[in-house]
Formats: sequence, structure tokens, C-alpha cells
Amino acid sequence: MDTPIAECALRLIDEEYFLDDYQGRTPRWCTGCGDNAILAAVQRVCRNEQLPPEKTVFVSGIGCSSRFPHYINSYGFHGLHGRALPVAEGIKLRRPDLHVFVVTGDGDCCSIGAAHWIHALRYNMNMTVLMHDNGIYGLTKNQASPTSPLGLKSKTTPQGTQLEPINPVSVSLGIRNVSFVAQAADWIPDQLQDTIEAAFHHKGLSFVRILQRCPEFLPGRFDPWVQEPDRMLLLHHKDGVGISPDLAKIYRNKEEHDPSNRNRAREIASTYDPMPVGVLYRNPQMPCYEDLRKPDRFYTPAIVKRVLEREFDKFTIHPAE
Amino acid sequence: MLKQIEGSRAVAEAVGLCRPEVICAYPISPQTHIVEGCAELIRAGTIQHCEFINVESEFAALSVAIGASAAGARTYTATASQGLLFMAEAVYNAAGLGLPIVMTIGNRAIGAPINIWNDHSDSMALRDAGWIQLHAETNQEAADLHIQAFKLAERLSTPVMVCMDGFILTHAYERIAMPDQAQVDAFLPSYQPRQVLDPADPYSIGAMVGPEAFMEVRYLAHDKLLQALSVIPEIQQEFKEIFGRESGGLFHRYRLEDAETVVVTMGSLAGTVKDMVDERRADGVRIGVITLCSYRPFPLDALRRALQGAAKVIVLEKSLALGFGGVLATDVRMALHGVDTLVHTVIAGLGGRPITRKSLARLFGRVERGELKDPHFLDLDLDLVRREIDNQRNQITAGPIAENILRDIGPRATKVG
Repeated sequence: MDTPIAECALRLIDEEYFLDDYQGRTPRWCTGCGDNAILAAVQRVCRNEQLPPEKTVFVSGIGCSSRFPHYINSYGFHGLHGRALPVAEGIKLRRPDLHVFVVTGDGDCCSIGAAHWIHALRYNMNMTVLMHDNGIYGLTKNQASPTSPLGLKSKTTPQGTQLEPINPVSVSLGIRNVSFVAQAADWIPDQLQDTIEAAFHHKGLSFVRILQRCPEFLPGRFDPWVQEPDRMLLLHHKDGVGISPDLAKIYRNKEEHDPSNRNRAREIASTYDPMPVGVLYRNPQMPCYEDLRKPDRFYTPAIVKRVLEREFDKFTIHPAE
Repeated sequence: MLKQIEGSRAVAEAVGLCRPEVICAYPISPQTHIVEGCAELIRAGTIQHCEFINVESEFAALSVAIGASAAGARTYTATASQGLLFMAEAVYNAAGLGLPIVMTIGNRAIGAPINIWNDHSDSMALRDAGWIQLHAETNQEAADLHIQAFKLAERLSTPVMVCMDGFILTHAYERIAMPDQAQVDAFLPSYQPRQVLDPADPYSIGAMVGPEAFMEVRYLAHDKLLQALSVIPEIQQEFKEIFGRESGGLFHRYRLEDAETVVVTMGSLAGTVKDMVDERRADGVRIGVITLCSYRPFPLDALRRALQGAAKVIVLEKSLALGFGGVLATDVRMALHGVDTLVHTVIAGLGGRPITRKSLARLFGRVERGELKDPHFLDLDLDLVRREIDNQRNQITAGPIAENILRDIGPRATKVG
């Protein structure tokens, strides 16, 4: 199949991207919704990494968080409930050259899409998964999700939930070929940004659970951790994320955690008070699905060169004519 | 007792009166208020001896319902749109197993493009799965049909969908006569499974049937739905005797006496159509309405008889078989095969497009003047369609059609009339 010519166009001028270049439509999330902070952090990561919007795809399912692709200026795919991960896998199979981000939520990922979640971790394709975890279904307005705290009274659980919430980080760490698991919080934007940046740099599927406040339907869910910085545990390591001096002044509770240590990662994952944030696990040696499969690449430099030359030939004036 | 009540809440209360034993819930608009209502009624102790489970998906909702029903519980669930499609495999499974599950569908469009508003695409997509499909015209009927549905499901041992228009009914507050528990208990006995399990002779449900008998098993499932054509009116009559009102049945007739033109429709749209029919009748036009309640099984013979005197039939439907045309219209034509009646297919209200009296007046006028082409798409913005066709031909803008159309019309509220 021929490579589209647009794909081969030469970049005559080095472009520089600014934050504005990633501004999509005006977000319609509620005031105070943690999704706004996550969007801002992701836009800063895109700017820092100078990701061309046309080379970047945000894939989502259904839920408040899944409105994300509309609010960032890039390619996007707002799909079916629970199906963000397999759609992203399809995109990655065809276009491994694209930067693929998946934006999902606790309902989309841990509930209706849970089977895909487990297998996406197993495939370990090179993509960044941002799981916005507010512990409630927000888009349908206040029903318990699998990460809702025990006893939560919602519209479908007026007597309170009767099950312990699922721990998305522990579950992810339970998959044998998982390669990157991190946790971040919307109320620590610098650390959130650093974590997303580390996730982006990791080759393989990076799973970032982001604790996200929902002031509308689950207000106060994270208040103890927001209001008392000492109840947060900041993980730092040269192979994970660092802690800036400014951040260190506020968050004094920290641990140097080597993200290659999966057993320690599991221990940390099972705690929530103090609430750990940072990179829990990272294994850059874990093979990616696309490397194991060695699929045909549609955009190898050789193909790009061949198609470009054919296009240029159309405009070549031959002296003999 | 008369109550000013939201449609969803009325359904939740009606389901509660049926003494369900297992309710499986996964929220999806516009069904959400129904399962929320059930949860609330259980918390308040109004519904007793009932397990309410918040499952992880619609697929799980119906799968859990199948297990519960097979184990002998009166089982209820509700969904809409994408949720119904997601559970499609289980929808066929429940019917094939003959499990008397009752499920509400808050009828809603199917994406892409994403749309949460009302049409009948969702239940239509599963019309051939072996479920009885009843459509409610009003919230009163929606509440009543649930009570009838359990009886119907259990008498025939077959699952029943009660379809009600999303938002138009589910979210509308109306005055409803809510039955009381004694009436419902008198009408609906406690659940006695037709397919019983004998502990002395245990077996597995879910047989594998090869070519030697598969057709016979399917024929019997078909035959069971055909039996429903006589059971539905029986249950309608039994309901009337206890509750004193007409609800359900195969279809409703309105001003059919001497009608030359008959509108055939389904669901809440009938209200607007009846108003228009009154208006046309006042002008001397002989027009009437049939509102289908039982879409599956489809009452071919009864409909054929009811349409006998009509010269023209307008099928007004909220569904579209892409690459073909009308869905309901095809069924109505089947009922009229061999009869010389002009049948118009009118596709209307897709994705929540309002169907106004003004639009219907224009439509009926065109039918009266013999100007209507078939199929007709009510209030379709042909200029917008043509612009997008040109756009595609000339590759003016990149991207999918839905995005281009939105770019073309710009931000604006839903166009009415």
C-alpha cells in the first residue's frame, strides 16, 4: 500500500510547539474537577516533549475522563465504554510511530473494560495509559464504581457499598509482564507532570493511576491527603521521578524506592495511608508486543524515501523534454 | 393511587410491586433512574427479599440475571442503547434458554456518532433474538406493562423486554395510577418456574444441539412467541379485570372507524399523532392511528384485519435499516401482502430529533395530496446533506462525516420544527 503523501512531506522549518498548540475545545468538566489539572499536566508534557499534535493520539472510552480527546488539540478517538485499550492497540499495530495516550477512568478501565485492562498490560505495547480514578461514576451522576470506598452511599448503593474497592495498582502489578506502574495525584501537579513524563519515556505500556477529585459526586474523598501533606508518601529514585526542592518543603514524607524492586512495589501499592505517589515499578527490559511480533512497518525510512522520490519525480523537468 | 411521578420511578415502583428477587444494575442513560429507583426502594425496605447487585457491565448484568433466573429467582434488569448491544450475546442466550427475565429498555439511539437521545435503533437491533418486545405509549402503560411482563414471561417461560422511549418517557413526570400491592399480588402469583430443576435428577443447562435437532429447538422458540399473540390479549384482559384499565395488548386503535388513512406507529410518538389526527378529523379527513404495543411477536393477522378498510397507511417509525429503509414499515407491508394498500415509510425522530405537530401537519398534507415519495425522512435537512456530499466529493475538509457536519452547522441548539 502506498504511504500517504502528507506523511512524507518535508519539514522545511523546525516547528516549535507552545502550550496553546495543544488547546482543544473548552473543557466542560465541573468546576474543581481533577480532570482539569490532569489535562493541564498532559499539555505541559506534550509541550516539553514537543509532540507534534498530528503525531499524537488520545484514545478514550466513555466517562467524564473520556471527554479528554475533545479538549486537547491532537488526533483523538472517543470510543465505546470500556474499549479504549483495544482501540489504542489497533492504532498502535498499524501506526507504531504515533504517540498513543489512553485516557480512561475507574469505571471504564476497572469495571466494564477490566478484561482489556489485564490483557493490555500483558501485550505491553508502547503507550501511556492515564487512569483517572475518582472512585465514582460521574458522567451518569453518582453511582458506585469498583474503586468506590467501602460503605459509600451512592444512587445505586443507597445502603452503602459492601465490597472493598479494587486496588488498580496492585492488580496491575499482579500481571507478570507488566512493565510500568505509577500513581499520581491531581493535587500535586508538578509531581503528576513528572510522573506522566516518566511514563511517556518508558518503552512499553505505562499505567498511571491518577487519584482524581470529584467535587460534585464524591467531595472529600481525598481530603485527608490533600489537607495533610504528611499523609502523602513521595517515591523518588533516579530511575523513577525526583522531588524538587519546593515540593520537598511541603511533602516531607518520602522514600527512595528502586522501581525495579517489584516486591517492594507491591508492598507500597497495598498502602493508602500514607498514600504513595511516584513510580512504583518499571522494567525497561520487558519486551513490547510490537517488538515480539515484528510487524511490517508502513513507515520505514526506506519506504518514505521511495514514495518521496516518486512524488518529486512528478515535478522534475528533464532536460531532454 | 394517583401519583405525580417520573416515568423511571413509576417503573421502579411497578417492578418492586412484582416482588422481584434479583435485580442486576449497570447505569446507562436514559435508564439510570430506574435502577437507582430500585436500589432506593430496597434500601427503604419497600422491596423486600431482593438481591440488588451492582455489576461491572451490561454483559455482566444480563449474565448474572441468566444465572439467577435459571436458579429460580424472579429476575429483573434494565438497560439502553450501547448497553443492550454490549449484552447482545446474553440476550440471545436468555431467550434460547427460555428464562423469564424482564428487562426495561430506555430506548435510545446507537452510535457512532455518540447520541444519548431517543429512537428505536437499540431494541430493533435485537428484535429477532427471541424476546417478547412490548412498547409503552405512556408512562402509565410503561408501569402497567412491567406488571404484565412478569406474568407473560413466566406463563410462557420466555424473556420480555419492555421498551419505553428514553427521556420522553423515562424522564417525564406524569400523573400515574400506581397499583397497590394487593392488586398486583392478585394479578401476579409468586414465581413458579415452568422449567423446574429436580434435585433427584441433576443436569446441566446449556445443551449443545447439532444439526439433528437445532431447527426443531428454534422452531419451538418461534412457536412460543407466536403463542404469545394469544396470551398477550388474555393477560391484557386479566389486567383490566383487576386494575380496571386498558393497558398493553397487541396494539391500540384510535379513531379507526371509516378511516381511509391509518398511521401505524409505536411508543410515545402516538400522543402527538393522535392530536394531529383529531385536528385532521375536525377538517373532515378520515384518518386514524394504530399504536403497536407488541412488536415481537408481530401481530400480522390482527394488523391485517385492522387495516382492511384503509386505502393508505403511513408507517411512522423511529428506526432505519441502513442500506434498506424502514424496519417497522417492512413488517407492516408483510401484514398487508397481497392487499392493494399504499404504504408510506416515514423515518422520523432519529437521535432525538423532535417530531412536532407542525412537521406532522406538513407530512399528512403531502400524503393527502399524493406527493410523498418513499421512503420519506421527516425534517431531514437536505441542504446540509448535499453540502457534505459535495465536501466528500471534493475533499474540502478532512475527517469523518459526523465531525464535518458539526463543523458545518456550528454550535446551535437542537432545531425544532
